[in-house]
Amino acid sequence: MKISYNWLTKYVNHQWPPQQVGNALTMSGLEVEHVDQIGLSLDGVIVGQILSVQSHPNADRLRLCEVTLGEPQSLQIVCGAPNVEVGQRVAVATVGTTLTLHGKSIKIKKAKIRGEISTGMICAEDELGLSDDHDGIMVLSDHSVIGEPLLDYLRRECDLTEDVCFDLSITPNRPDATCHIGVARDLAALRDVPLRLPDITPPSSTGDMDQHLDVEIHCPELCGRYTAMMVQNVTVAPSPPWLQRRLESVGLRSINNVVDITNFVMYECGQPLHAFNYDLISNKQIVVRSSVSGEEFITLDEKHHVLDSGVALICDGHQPIAIGGIMGGKNSEVDDSTTNILIESAWFDPSGTRRSAKSLGISTDASYRFERGVDAQLQPWAAMRAVQLINEIAGGSVVNGIIDIHPHPQPLPTLDLRLSRIHAILGIEITHRHVTQILVSLGFHVDEKTDGVLSCTVPSHRPDIFGEIDLIEEIARIHGYDQIPLHSHTPLQLPAPLARPSDQARDEVVSFLTGNGFREIYTNSLLPDDVASQFSQGVLGVEAPPVRTLNAVSSSMATLRPSLLPGMLSVMKHNVRHSQPVLRFYEFGHVFHQGSAQSTFLEHYSEYDALLIGISGPLNPSSWDTSSRMADFFDLKGDMSLLFDTLQLNPFEMQFHDQPTEITEYHITLATENLRCATIAKLADSIQDYYELPHPVFFADFNWTRLLELYDQKPPTAFTPISLYPIVERDLAISVEESQSVGSLLSTLQTAGKPLLKEVNVFDIYTGDQIPAGQKSIAFSLRFGADRTLTDKEIDRVMQKIVDVLSKQFNAILRS
Amino acid sequence: MDNTIESLKSTVADLNREIATAHLLSTSEAEEFRVHYLGQKRGIITQLFKVIPHLPKTDRREAGQLLNALRNTAQSTLAEAHSKVAKDSTAASQIDLTLPGRQHRWKGSRHPISLALTKITDIFNRMGFNIAEGPEMEDDWHNFTALNFPDDHPARDMQDTLFIDEGHQHSSHILMRTHTSPVQIRAMLDGKPPFRLIAPGRVYRNETITYKSYCLFHQVEGLVVDEGVTMADLKTTIYSFAQSFFGHDVKLRYRPSFFPFTEPSAELDVWWELPDHPNGGRWMEVLGSGMVHPNVLQAVGIDAERYTGYAFGMGVERPAMLHYGIQDIRVLYENDNRFLSQF
Repeated sequence: MKISYNWLTKYVNHQWPPQQVGNALTMSGLEVEHVDQIGLSLDGVIVGQILSVQSHPNADRLRLCEVTLGEPQSLQIVCGAPNVEVGQRVAVATVGTTLTLHGKSIKIKKAKIRGEISTGMICAEDELGLSDDHDGIMVLSDHSVIGEPLLDYLRRECDLTEDVCFDLSITPNRPDATCHIGVARDLAALRDVPLRLPDITPPSSTGDMDQHLDVEIHCPELCGRYTAMMVQNVTVAPSPPWLQRRLESVGLRSINNVVDITNFVMYECGQPLHAFNYDLISNKQIVVRSSVSGEEFITLDEKHHVLDSGVALICDGHQPIAIGGIMGGKNSEVDDSTTNILIESAWFDPSGTRRSAKSLGISTDASYRFERGVDAQLQPWAAMRAVQLINEIAGGSVVNGIIDIHPHPQPLPTLDLRLSRIHAILGIEITHRHVTQILVSLGFHVDEKTDGVLSCTVPSHRPDIFGEIDLIEEIARIHGYDQIPLHSHTPLQLPAPLARPSDQARDEVVSFLTGNGFREIYTNSLLPDDVASQFSQGVLGVEAPPVRTLNAVSSSMATLRPSLLPGMLSVMKHNVRHSQPVLRFYEFGHVFHQGSAQSTFLEHYSEYDALLIGISGPLNPSSWDTSSRMADFFDLKGDMSLLFDTLQLNPFEMQFHDQPTEITEYHITLATENLRCATIAKLADSIQDYYELPHPVFFADFNWTRLLELYDQKPPTAFTPISLYPIVERDLAISVEESQSVGSLLSTLQTAGKPLLKEVNVFDIYTGDQIPAGQKSIAFSLRFGADRTLTDKEIDRVMQKIVDVLSKQFNAILRS
Repeated sequence: MDNTIESLKSTVADLNREIATAHLLSTSEAEEFRVHYLGQKRGIITQLFKVIPHLPKTDRREAGQLLNALRNTAQSTLAEAHSKVAKDSTAASQIDLTLPGRQHRWKGSRHPISLALTKITDIFNRMGFNIAEGPEMEDDWHNFTALNFPDDHPARDMQDTLFIDEGHQHSSHILMRTHTSPVQIRAMLDGKPPFRLIAPGRVYRNETITYKSYCLFHQVEGLVVDEGVTMADLKTTIYSFAQSFFGHDVKLRYRPSFFPFTEPSAELDVWWELPDHPNGGRWMEVLGSGMVHPNVLQAVGIDAERYTGYAFGMGVERPAMLHYGIQDIRVLYENDNRFLSQF
């Protein structure tokens, strides 16, 4: 929303320079996003008069002009404009002047143009930064004085030259601030000076208007008020310079005097207006009705629309002529030949306008304001302001009276404001007098109701004010947030919040992973649908289809990730492509799927926190006496068992799957009470190939939410006194069938060794010459201990028991 | 050999003297010494032990003690020699201290968003805030309605909402949360005042990915509800936060703004110095805040006359990018090792 400093200053005598105005607006709730200096460095541009015009001997299109600047010596200037004529007063950029054209600086020099000397330039409006008009040179009025700086003329005649344009970011709660008077009202409240409004008295009766027009509203829910006034026998022409400048200062293009006036009034008071060519309104009748689905309409910008139902249509006796509150129609447009003007000043419902604008895909200056809420009492004032200006500028005669259809006028709401509540919310004291001054400046009517309670009538330009808290905000923003003090102390809320044990679990795991050379990544939660479906696999804990979005801007973000795995694989692919072979990553993030199996919040959907750890490529850097090797499954498995040790979470039910699934070559599932907690796996070779990864990928996928539940259920750590008695170590080597899994040997051995056996490790696995074919040798180191000194005999007994059990269950043979 | 305790004593004394003066400079000299005195078969001390059984019973104990002491002396002399020789062989002239140490792993790292999030939550933890969490997939009620967004209000235009396809129903009630504020609602429905919490998390915008916008980002939400909480408490808290986060000399600006769920609402701006900027820098919005709107308290069944509160929310990416000088937001989600290794 653009606001001109000069224009603003018309309504309030603030006596602040532009920068201070900008700062004050920002600090009272109208954020200034940009400040643009408009124009105009016109130093060196002087008013001159053309004394003679001759054709250029060497160029058909150029002419030689003799120009006087009021000095004895006249100048010869070469000019290419078609409209140059003897006697014209023109703007001359003298030698040495710097002009800015299309953002570039041009310095005027004495030059020879096609062999003829040219000392200066006769300027067009665009060359002076006054408009984008380059149809011909700018011709000045007779009020100009030959030899005076152009700037003096412009100041006198057009009333504005240099200006500052504030680009304001208007929040949705400030419909009143979409116009200069609205912004000026804030400024007046901040300065505690009166707001100066144009003196407008709209007609109070229909007068002669009913002889010219009949208006009916058939959809009061869409159009709450319709007023109309008329001017006859106008001359549609370009706007006077001052009006053009006003519109240009807020970024609008001048069209013609009538249309410009409607825009001017909208930017002045916030009321969108529409000017119809009265002679094109058939039956001299206007009906405002709701559209029927499928109706067609061509707007002013010549676009063809097929309407939904429920759009406010302005119709004449024959057809729709405008979309209410949004845009007029091609069929009733004001053009240069129009002589009779009908001004519509209406109020359209914010929700209705918003729905219609959305369904039509149009946003206009008018719809922007109606969506936010236009002052519901402003219509006659704005209509009168417009017809008066039209009458002044375009001539003709104003038809006496106004049509004002207002089916359900609403009384202004009155709210109670407790002075004590201001303090309770803001934490500062503001005097009763100051509170009243602020509210009155903003247009509220304030009465003292009882002691400490003010009764405030909300002005019609503030439809956003519903309750006491809104009044407090108004007071706070004008009083200034800077006035709210900072405490040097603040109370401490006790008891201190309880920390969940799981709050620290993540920190511990992050430290562990970071310390072990894993890098944390963040990936997109939105995936292409086929990728999401491919990774919706039971092995990753996804038992149902993925969750799809309804309106994603791109098909690459159509579906929510069911797993962190595809994101990490893309990161691996990216790094490999960029010659970064070390792939060791982890990510924490939410994953989603349909079905309420793991739902904590929403019905029919599962969402939980996941942790994914993945490795591929070299395990360690090579060094002067250490060589690098490729990471394998047991590197990851080992890290993961350390991770569980870090969290002191053990043991899990483990299921070993050596058969491939769609996304794994083999994997281990860790569960408790049949609920999956983690999967440790080798990625399927086909997927590895698809992601163009040169080395096998191993990953551990955790249901982190589930793990945290286990963590929170875990009994607190209790210290076990350290045994004072020595540990006894023994080794045990057995041979078993080559296909025998070590895991079951280990667990049997651990059970058989209880309670003296404290620790077992596998320290060697051997097949070869020393061992019969089809057999392998496994060597275990065992550590025994108890709360006494163990004798050899006791340990021999346990060892024998272990050997017996192993030989019985696994046909293990003791090797000596 | 004379088998008396006296002659043994004098032999031992001689040997003690010999051993004390022995100069063992190399491994071979040490080995010679060992064979000479302690050798299993011919060693002098070994031989002397064999005398003991031939001594009178009364002297045997004393002889044993003498010989044990002698053997200990010889052994410690030998050990000393070995360690001295070993030390010499690894002397500075032979070890290259400039060789790089062995690294068994590469360095790990945390993501910059994670670092910024932790920094923010740590500051609020120190101020006594608890951490709350909520889902990223939300329903319309928690994300909008309970937060005082009217059904058809332009405020909803401020957010480009990503809706979930609910199949046949097409009810558009499930969406990806557009802010962390629904966690306020969940927390207040779950408990009773007082509340003092922050909620970090991921939020979504239905936007095309460009260098300056991504379809998701991270926020930290804050909520305090208690008796007697005022806007001065709010301003104090977030100014303290900004001073901890950006430095105590940070220049701040607190100005009115609008959020449907707070009133009065305010935006906190930080002055960010930019040497190339015509004004020497510019104001950057870092945190939206305000007093919890009475309608929000009513929506969750809290007496808005008795309790007041404040809420605030900030993006994480923007301050992180400012802090690290990152220009293109996409680099955060690309996870190039050369990027990650810088944090």
